[in-house]
Amino acid sequence: MAEIVLFYLLAAATVAAAVGVVMHENPLLCALHLVLSMLGVAGLFFLLQAPFVGAVQIMVYAGAVMVLFVLVLMLIDTNQDDEKFSGGNISALTKGLSVGVLSGLLTSIILRTPQSLQRSVTYEAYEVIDIAKLLFTKYVLAFELLGVLLLVIPVGVVALSRIRGGTHDR
Amino acid sequence: MGSDVFEITVNVIKMLIIFLLMVQLVPILVWVERRGSAFIQNRFGPNRVGPLGLTQLLADAVKFLFKEEFVPPKSHALLYYAAPVLALIPGAIAFGGIPLSMPIDIQPFQMFGSEWGPYTFKFQSYDLDIGILFILAISSLGAYALLLAGWGSNNKYSLFGALRASAQMISYELAMGLSLVGMLMLYQTLNFSNMVELQKGPLHFMFFGKEILIPFLPNWGIFYQPLGFILFATAAFAETNRLPFDLPEAEGELVAGYHTEYGGLKMLLFYIGEYGHMMVASAVMVTFYFGGYELPFSLSDSLTGAVRGAFSSVNLGNVMAALVIHVVMLLKILFFLWVFIWVRWTLPRFRYDQLMDLGWKTMLPWSLANVLATAYLILMAGSAV
Repeated sequence: MAEIVLFYLLAAATVAAAVGVVMHENPLLCALHLVLSMLGVAGLFFLLQAPFVGAVQIMVYAGAVMVLFVLVLMLIDTNQDDEKFSGGNISALTKGLSVGVLSGLLTSIILRTPQSLQRSVTYEAYEVIDIAKLLFTKYVLAFELLGVLLLVIPVGVVALSRIRGGTHDR
Repeated sequence: MGSDVFEITVNVIKMLIIFLLMVQLVPILVWVERRGSAFIQNRFGPNRVGPLGLTQLLADAVKFLFKEEFVPPKSHALLYYAAPVLALIPGAIAFGGIPLSMPIDIQPFQMFGSEWGPYTFKFQSYDLDIGILFILAISSLGAYALLLAGWGSNNKYSLFGALRASAQMISYELAMGLSLVGMLMLYQTLNFSNMVELQKGPLHFMFFGKEILIPFLPNWGIFYQPLGFILFATAAFAETNRLPFDLPEAEGELVAGYHTEYGGLKMLLFYIGEYGHMMVASAVMVTFYFGGYELPFSLSDSLTGAVRGAFSSVNLGNVMAALVIHVVMLLKILFFLWVFIWVRWTLPRFRYDQLMDLGWKTMLPWSLANVLATAYLILMAGSAV
């Protein structure tokens, strides 16, 4: 019972925050709503008996990635650059397209989901050590490739910032 | 939460008490900070209000409550008000996850004419299997309070402070997490209670198939990972924005950094948040490297035995024993809090590029090397706690 109440509370908060992301004009407030939405998703993971995924969701997305987003957005003068964020025909076209694609995807998934409360598959709650074993044995190639991808990004950023001038110009 | 009314009630009260414990330690710490700094700098410090100036804090609290309430014009009012509250939350949640004493076993007893079954109460708000991971995750949210305070108050000094704070916290989070990995590999668990269990008894480990026992040292993490401890402690100073890493509020350059525009109770909330972070860092240090709530050797067992023997009721004896052990944990935490204060009034502040160099070019490679060396040793020598 308590779990159902918690689920609806968290789900409502997550969706409300996600709506806030697209409805706000100020990009900083959008980013902050995204943080709230991510925290809600983390809470849903905790409800699904997956505390590891929930904690990683908070640590990586809410705690690290979004802090950097907010950091960059704070440096933008929102009074002047407002139009760059919302306005223009190309921007409107991409918005319309992405909304169409996303809502199409969502409705098709919702329609394909069996509407019964009976769970067809039960998943075992994974311990951290099981996840670690899977990551370093079965999925080691994908895991390492992702690591390489993440390494390429900072190296690329440093290289670009040195070529195009700025504080690290040679 | 619990299976019946009694268990749920006790658990709720327990959570409240642990939160209040954290908040109530803050005024005492402020007093220690002011008197301690005065002691270190050969001054007197606050010594007029009450014995040793102890009631100065009550006077300060009243002053904080009655200060004028204002919002700077052109600031973002919602974020301006939200930031101090957000500063308090991560520390308060994280502190609840650390075991502050041993679990209390309660035998079945009679109350209000009905039987109440056997219970085991843990001396912490919640006990997650992923313990340290959750606490690191929650603590990483502390950056938002500083960011929102800086941006929301629409002041260039606040914004500078917020930018410095978030860059610093992101940079040192990495070294902080990695410095703990070596210890986690030795413990093979993320749960705090299991770690404390593993640190019982004298120092003993397997090394190339031989069992090595050093009877005059406790089996504490610090003897396995001294480098890890130094790195973690340094990162903890940076994460809590304390000197020598208090660049976000460097008063010589930024007036007061991210809380320039705050006064009264809102300022106090930032203080509680900062001290809360310090308490969490100290408690994690104690649990990881200094045996948690256990006394070295088997002193804990004899102490709790003596306390239990002094009470006729088994349940009362268990509660009292847990409280005595809780004092041990509290003393350990207070020692590290004193170290925080001690360092603050001893070391000068870093320059910003020195701070970044230390984080990325010194601490990150060293903590990576620590992880590799520990993994190699565990694999080759088969040594584990």
